[in-house]
Amino acid sequence: MQSDPNFSPMNPALTGTPPEAAIRRLRASRRRQWSTVLTVVLVLLGFLVSGAAGAVVYFWPVLMAGYQQTGQVSDIKAAASAVAQSPAAVPPAGAAFTVLLLGSDDDSKFPADHVLTQSMILVRVDPSARQVTMLSIPRDLWVPLSTGTTEKIDGAYSHGKAAAALATVEKNFHVHIDDYAWIGLKGLIKLIDQVGGVDLVVSNPVLDDFYPSDIDVRNPYGYTRVAVLPGAQHLDGMHALQYVRSRHNDLQSDFGRSYRQQQVLLALRAKASGLNPTDLPDLVSAVSGEFKTSMGLSRLRELLGIAQQVDFSRIHQIILTPPYTSSGQIPGHSALNPHWDLILPLVRQYFP
Amino acid sequence: MMRKLALVLAIALMPAFGFGVYTYLGSLKTKAVRATAVKPVETKPKFALPGTMIVIQDGGLYKLSGGTFTELGKAGSWSQVAVSPDHTKLVAVSQNSLASELSLLGSDGHVIKQLTHDRVAILDANHWAFYPRISLDGKTVYYSFDQPKRGYQVDLAVWSMPLNGPQAQARRMTTPNDHTGGDVTPIPLSGGALLYVKYTLGATGIASQIWLQSRPLAAGTALTDLASDCNQPSLSPDGNQLAMICTSGKQSGRLVVAPFDGRRLGPMRTVLAGGLNAAPAWAPDGSGLAYLAPAGAGGHFQLWWLPFAVPAVSASPSGSATAPAGRLAPKQVTTDVDLTPTTPLVWY
Repeated sequence: MQSDPNFSPMNPALTGTPPEAAIRRLRASRRRQWSTVLTVVLVLLGFLVSGAAGAVVYFWPVLMAGYQQTGQVSDIKAAASAVAQSPAAVPPAGAAFTVLLLGSDDDSKFPADHVLTQSMILVRVDPSARQVTMLSIPRDLWVPLSTGTTEKIDGAYSHGKAAAALATVEKNFHVHIDDYAWIGLKGLIKLIDQVGGVDLVVSNPVLDDFYPSDIDVRNPYGYTRVAVLPGAQHLDGMHALQYVRSRHNDLQSDFGRSYRQQQVLLALRAKASGLNPTDLPDLVSAVSGEFKTSMGLSRLRELLGIAQQVDFSRIHQIILTPPYTSSGQIPGHSALNPHWDLILPLVRQYFP
Repeated sequence: MMRKLALVLAIALMPAFGFGVYTYLGSLKTKAVRATAVKPVETKPKFALPGTMIVIQDGGLYKLSGGTFTELGKAGSWSQVAVSPDHTKLVAVSQNSLASELSLLGSDGHVIKQLTHDRVAILDANHWAFYPRISLDGKTVYYSFDQPKRGYQVDLAVWSMPLNGPQAQARRMTTPNDHTGGDVTPIPLSGGALLYVKYTLGATGIASQIWLQSRPLAAGTALTDLASDCNQPSLSPDGNQLAMICTSGKQSGRLVVAPFDGRRLGPMRTVLAGGLNAAPAWAPDGSGLAYLAPAGAGGHFQLWWLPFAVPAVSASPSGSATAPAGRLAPKQVTTDVDLTPTTPLVWY
């Protein structure tokens, strides 16, 4: 008998149905295909996770700061309850909002969080109109504090931290504050250094023979001399601090200092307009522990965006010089008396 | 086998990819934050300016001549400089955190002698000496000095002392306004007259004016108004024009030129608008002005040159002609340096 070379019980062409081995080969082939696809997907996923991990590590200081230093809503709520208002709703994106900027001498002379706020600037930001208004509140303004006593307004923070400062300003100025930001001495120095310094025109020679020598020194009660010469220049953090902090030889007293503070704030704004999100980790690390704010990361991002859009001609600067205030001698204190009949209409106009 | 090898390789590359993302994000940081300046001697100006210029960066004195920077003397704490009329001597300010001193230097930067002795143990008995300027006869140095002081008051007045005499022979020339910062940037003129900048409290704050004084401690006359806020005067080589920076209380300064007849200024003409312009100085032949202004990502101050289309013409302050007639676009001379803008440029 001659055998047929094509005959095989496993040959589907001859049998008409797929034999088991062919099915196994087919399944094995499909499994291999799936396995390949799965491996590729897993490898891609691995790369994705790895890349995300790289990004998370890069932005880790920002994420930690977002958790620890920003969004401190408890202070805002406390302030709201202190002025017997219901906690205000967060303004919708794009709506105007008001921020109270606070700056303190937080050197080792003072226990932490019991510091005075030498700088208090009320800032209203209107993103849709691309307009910014800054009102400097004199530190020596004699007002009833939210904590019960009547003192200089710079003492509010020392009695009840940011909540007391906010409530005091809201109560006296009849203004609603959405957020606050507080910065200490070293925080300002590091912030300015981190953005590469500030460029400004120093208006006149700022000379001071009794400038506090209280940063990174053993004895924080000492003094040093300061000379910031006039004209256009590039100031690093330390010299910018000297410019905004010196007060002894200014004919305009604390008002001159308020003007200089606004000047440096605007110079910082100009620098911030050149930054991008990848600069944030270094910035946040630099001011770590020296900066607190009730603003969340989204509001801070919004502020950075506005910094890039607002032009200088649309920034309104207000300093409460006479006749809005007048010098007064309260027993034991040299203070400023507020003239509310003039101040409040001004506040209503610019902080509606 | 190949597949397994590829898988192992991919797994090994994953952490590297994560690190790569981290590094890439870091590379996107704004350059302005990281921009650092280099020493002038490590740079080459884009083109050569005529004559010799002396500039300061980070406490060091540098001479720019023939398109090349050279360092004068040892790097120190120099913050301002002036040159004698015969260009053989310099008077420079060395500054520390408590005081500043004037020193007489040779043209190569070596210290001949210290002219002032302002550093003492008692904090508020220390003194600042700034803005030196040597008189036309080369015998006297004019400068700003914070004396007298009272309590918290520290204002600069213009003083003068013999270049070869002791500080005890120094005499006060001007009376500054209290608590304003005082009088700065003296320019001695012939016959004992003096041009300088006086700070005064105006309607919107403390502002500067160019003042002219005929003799020591005389009342003087304001040559510019307070609203214009003009400072940093620079007299042309022929003495007939004054260049200055006028900010009008704003955060930018116009470069302004006005004819000067020794008693008053003529019509002021803006030759460069806006910007953080500083330290204007006339070319030795009056063909234009050099000045400092920021450029580049770091905002560091660079040297700029503003040529005039035709040589600057002298004009009568009362006349309608204004100088300089015609100007060209400013040209950046240096890159990557960070020159000190609070010292008047020396150019001869």
